[in-house]
Formats: sequence, structure tokens, C-alpha cells
Amino acid sequence: MSLPVAALMWLFITYFVVINGACLALNLLAWPALRRRLSLLPLENLPPVHPDLAPPISLLICARDCEATIVERVRAALRLYYNEFEVVVVNDGSRDATLEVLRDAFGLESFPEVYWRRIPARPVRTIYHSRVHPNLRVVDKERGGTADALNVGINASRYPLFLALDARWSLRRDGLRLLVEPFVDDPKTVATGCTTRISEGGDFEAAPALPERLLDRMQVVEHLREPLFGRLGWARLNASLTVSGAAILFRKDAVVDTAGYRSDVIAEEMELVTRLHLAPRPGGERYRIHVIPEPICRQSPAANLGALRQARMRWQVSLAQSLARNRGHAGKRNATGRFARVFLLCFEVYGPAVEIAAYVMMTAMFLLGLLPGLAYVSFLALAFSLGFMVSMSALLLEEMSFRLYPRWGQAARLAIAAIAENLGYRQLVAFWRLDALLRWWQAR
Amino acid sequence: MRPLLFADPQTAFALTASAVAFALGCALLLAIAVLGALRRWRAQRGAAIERHWRMALQAAAGEGAAIKLPAIGTRQLPLFLEVWNHLRESADGPAAARLEGLLTRNGIDRRARAMLRSTFLRQRLAAITALGYLRERGSWERLEALSRLADPVVSFAAARALLRIDAGHALEVLLGAIPARSDWPLARLATIFHELGPGTVTSALVTMLLRRPRPGLERVIKLSRFGQPEKISGIVRGWLGSSTDPDVLMAALAYIEDPRDLPWAHGAATHAQWRVRMAAARALGRVGGRDELPALLELLRDSIWWVRYHAAQGLIRLKGLEPFELETLRENARDAFAADMLGQALAERRWS
Repeated sequence: MSLPVAALMWLFITYFVVINGACLALNLLAWPALRRRLSLLPLENLPPVHPDLAPPISLLICARDCEATIVERVRAALRLYYNEFEVVVVNDGSRDATLEVLRDAFGLESFPEVYWRRIPARPVRTIYHSRVHPNLRVVDKERGGTADALNVGINASRYPLFLALDARWSLRRDGLRLLVEPFVDDPKTVATGCTTRISEGGDFEAAPALPERLLDRMQVVEHLREPLFGRLGWARLNASLTVSGAAILFRKDAVVDTAGYRSDVIAEEMELVTRLHLAPRPGGERYRIHVIPEPICRQSPAANLGALRQARMRWQVSLAQSLARNRGHAGKRNATGRFARVFLLCFEVYGPAVEIAAYVMMTAMFLLGLLPGLAYVSFLALAFSLGFMVSMSALLLEEMSFRLYPRWGQAARLAIAAIAENLGYRQLVAFWRLDALLRWWQAR
Repeated sequence: MRPLLFADPQTAFALTASAVAFALGCALLLAIAVLGALRRWRAQRGAAIERHWRMALQAAAGEGAAIKLPAIGTRQLPLFLEVWNHLRESADGPAAARLEGLLTRNGIDRRARAMLRSTFLRQRLAAITALGYLRERGSWERLEALSRLADPVVSFAAARALLRIDAGHALEVLLGAIPARSDWPLARLATIFHELGPGTVTSALVTMLLRRPRPGLERVIKLSRFGQPEKISGIVRGWLGSSTDPDVLMAALAYIEDPRDLPWAHGAATHAQWRVRMAAARALGRVGGRDELPALLELLRDSIWWVRYHAAQGLIRLKGLEPFELETLRENARDAFAADMLGQALAERRWS
């Protein structure tokens, strides 16, 4: 083996060992937090939150051309269990009958409410109050996109905490109580995120169903490995930059101080979380962004490969955008700047490029006779074994904590999916993410 | 295939690392299987034990129950205590007394004391909670020591147990910690204060308020709503003339119920901090009369939405002001923001 080939092989081996080792370390880091959380589950151990001091919550719903689904989404929000909350629906200049169906379903009447424009956004046309639900208001505004609509929702909201509800996932009915706990227990909290679990049907009344298709089960494992336990690990370092795609409860003041959501990014919440980490704080005021492990948020698996590709590409571009937009602060603050950012850049943003380059170059060198067969096999074996090990560690954490899939058959099928996802699925996802990254670069 | 010994170093490393990773992955898979089987077995057994103890304890809590419990193994004790805590939480009167008697007569209190030293958080918390319910004075010193730990969960649970054992004494012991320990959640502390009742907590609250602890005064102020207002309000209102701290002023303004204190509210209406101006608007509207009209109209033109909102609400509540006068004020307002806000307040009143 020539020196350049050997050097390349060392580079790729080192990359795979380091990225998988880091994922394993994050899982290990997540375990103490999970264990402590589980110890607090018996309700008698700590007194409940006094309702007078539980912070009220504004739930924001962005509605745009969704006449078929909006009424059910609002009803689901109104059905959540919490002491005091309001639902603010922002009609983002819908061109269908979204506003009319809302008006009919909830007895809306226009109301002379004074709108406080704390964050710049497109103009508001009318504010409606519901005769049926005193805690429901609908703000009709000019079309401006999701971020703009959410900024209007923040402006119109009355309470100190807010959560933007998304049609892509559903929230357990007692989810707000769990999300608010870090705010109650830790005054430094500026946001609390959770993680989604993949499950067929978002119905929380029923036990979660393990999807039938192997592709869907591989998504379950992927979600356990990366978003769930990885985020918990980062949260322990107060470095959760990638809390997105799930419910996030924000402290409104902190968001207003950072000028709200940005309209020029794909994943507004991810970018906002990154900005919250980096926001200047007078006197070096300390802050925390928490992640709770409880499975309070569910989403259905991507329906087909096309939808899965879109979702993964979106994730990749979102991450790259969030980090690029806030790069001026790199290395200036706590673990976020110094460590998480480097990790995310090296392994999440540029990772797919290195991974695909490794597979392509190693295969090419093998086919050209530059790389011995044993060396090629050893590389493939290493990539598979490391992925297998990390997936198993995530499954073990799931087994030791919430055990959403408690039956033997379910556990066995998940284990098979964890093995199978290393044989093509992960590589395919890495390819899609690289594709997304290249397109994003080109577009810039 | 060449033996590993003769492979180049990078291949040898890759093969070794993959073998280690694969072995570790298999070990984890085995752990999942074993742990899964163990947890399923434990869950079934735990459910059976829990059912058993629940029935036994429910029977004991009722009339004519046997007072001798069957032997409880060391491994079963934490689960037993959790079931007991759960039942004790919802029991009161004679049923609660019977449940407590059952534990002391069977020596469980002694074993719970020993469990305070457990390294497992869950066991420790179960023991702390049970000893609190038992009002077990023998564990006071140990619980007091636990309440001083840095761990917020254990220390808070221990403080709660102390308050259950002897609220008066515990409040004396915790006088410094309640304001200072910001890691003890105020909203949970409020539940404890609410449960203890104004008769028990007022004296401690008065002491803490007089000490004006820094930091932590705002915590005491928020808790003071659970004390007897007649004893608290005098102290808090007294700060109106002596403090410039916004938190203190806001709290004091919330206690104004006497028109003689209104000059302080007028003074606060021009404070640099908008939260103080908002509190002043509320106080003026709550207690004031026609004399407060100019101050509220001025606040209605404030640059902050919330100040204008509460000034408008204050005008609505102002004694002696008729609805038609409010409409006239709105129509004649030269400031558009003020007119809009008053319009909203009037609409809200009509709507409710």
C-alpha cells in the first residue's frame, strides 16, 4: 500500500472512530440525567407546582392555507391539560377558507385589541376573540411566512412562556406540565425542548405502535440514537444547539431580546435556539436550555423514501444555516461555542461529505488495485461495527428508561432494524445530506 | 486472506477496532436482552408486590385491620415505601394515623432511617418522604443535615420532611435557606406554604421580610401571599418610603389597600422601571378614586403596552367614574395609543 493510500485510510479510520466514539460518549453522558429523571417520577417525592406560581403559557399556531386541518389542530391545542394557557392562531394571509372555518367553528368576532409590535413583522389586519373559548384568539395578518407569523404570535401573546405548535408532531395532553418544570425548578431556563418518538399514529391514548415496515423501524432507531440521547447528552453540557422538530417552550423575553424568529432560514426554531445560546447577556447572566427525555411528542415516520429524503435534506440545510448565520460568535461562549459547534461542524455538517468520500474513495482504490482486499474489508467492517455499537447503546438506554416498546417481539425487531440500518440506510442518508449541503453551497 | 499479524498497521488497527466495536455491540445487544427479560420479570413481580402491599395497606388504613405486616425483604422495602407514600398522600384523619402506626409498630421507621444513607436517589427520596409523613423526630438531625446538601432534590425533599415533622421549628431552621436557595423551586415551596397554612407560616415570613435578605427577598415577597395579610402588609407597605429596589416596590404596591398610601403609588407612577409603573397603575385603579384620574391618564400614554393596559384597566375599576365618562375620555383622548387601549379595556368589559 502506497503512503498516500495508507494516509487516506488512516484519515477515514480515525474519522469513523472519533465520530462514533463521540456519539457513544453522548449516550453515556445522557444516562445520569435519564436516571435522575426516572428517580423523580414517583409523584410524592416532590410537592407539585402551586397553580398560582405556575407560569402561564401561550400556544402559537401558524395557519396558512389549511382549511381542512386547522379546526382539529386548534381543538387538539385547546384539549391540552394545563392550569392557564391561551391559544393564539395566526392566519398567515391564507388564500383558502382557513379564516372562515375558524370563525364558524369557534364563534370568532373581531375585537378592538391593541397589538404590541415588539418584533418587526408584516401588518396585522384583524384580531378575533372566540365567544366559545375565552382563551382562544385568532390574529389575521398579511402573508409573510412561518417565521413572520410566529413573530406576530409572540407579539400578540400575553404570557411569559410560549410554544409554537407544529402540524408535523402531536403533543401528549400533559406535555405542557412536563415542559414547564425546568422553568419552575431553574430560573435560569430560557428554553426547554423535548424529543419526538417515531410512532405510527400520533394518538397518545393508545400505546405506541412499532411500525411494520423495516424502513420505518430504522427511522425509530435513528431517532433514538441521534435526536433523543444525543440531545440529552448535549443538554448536560448546556450545549443543545439542535433542539428542533419537536416541542420547544421558550421564555418570551429572551426571544424578544434576540429579535424573534428569522425569516431567511429553513428551520426557524433551530436557528433561534442557536441564537439564544449566543445572545449577549448583561453581566454574563447565566442561562440554561434544557431537554426533557419524556416521550411527550410523537410524529409519524416518513411515508416513503422521497419524504424521508426531503426530511433529511431539510435537516442538513437547517443545521448548516443555523451555524453559518451565527458563526461570528464561535468560541466566545461556554461549551456551546467551544465544543458543540466544533463537533456539529466537523461531524454533522461536513460529516456526510467525509463519510461519502470515504466510501467512494476506498471502493475506487480497491477496484483500481491500490488497496488490498483485506484493508478494504477491514474498513467496511469498522464502519459497520461502530454504527452497530452506537445503535445498540441507544437501544439499551431506551430499554433502561422509558421502554416504549416493551414486548419481546418489538425489542427483537428494533434490534434487527439497528443492525440493518448500518447496511445501506445510514449511507443513503449520508448521501442525501451531502447532496443537500452541496445544493446549499451552490445556492449561496 | 493474510493473517492479521502480517497486515499493515492501518488494516490491523481497523480489524482490531471493528472486532472490539462489534464485540461491544454484541455485549450491548446481550445486555438489552438480559435487561429486558429482567425488567419484564421485575415489572410483573413488582406489579404483584405492589398490588399485594397496596391491598394490605388499604386494609390496614381501614377499620379493624391487622396491625402486623408480613416480613418485608430488604429489596422490597423501597417499593413498599413508595406504595405507602402514595397511599399516605391521599389519606387523612384516622386512616392516615393508622397507616403511620402500621409503619412504626412494624419497625419500618427504623429501616427507613437506615435508607437515608442509600446511594440510590430513589430509595433515599422514598425514605425521606416516609419519615416526613411519620413526623419521625429521631431522624431530625439526619434530615437537617440532608437539607443542607448541595443536591437540590435531596435537600428540598429533606426540608419538606422537616416541615412535616415540626413546621414551627423547621421554619426557624430554614429561615436562611428559604430565601437563599434559589435551586429550591419557589412554585413547589409555595405548595408547602399553602399546605402549612397562614397560621403556621406568617411568623417566619414576617421574620424573613424584616431581615430583607439579599439575594432572595423577591422569593420571600412572593411567598408572603401565603401568610396573614394583616401582619404582612404593614411591613411590606413600610418599604414604599424606604426602598428604591424595583422588586421591593412592586411587592409593596401590590399590598396597597388604604387610600392613605396612594401618594406612594403616585410617586411610583413615574419610576424608570416599567414594571414598577405597571404596579403603580394597578394600585391606583384598585384603591383610588377620581383624584387618581390624571395619573392614570398619564400612564395610559406610557410607551410600554403593559403599563397602558393596566392603566386602562385601572380607569375601568376606578371608583366613582361612570361608563359614559370613560367613553368621553376615549373620544377626547389626543393620544391614539391611549384611546385604543381604553377602547380595548371597554370592549373587554362588555365582552365579559
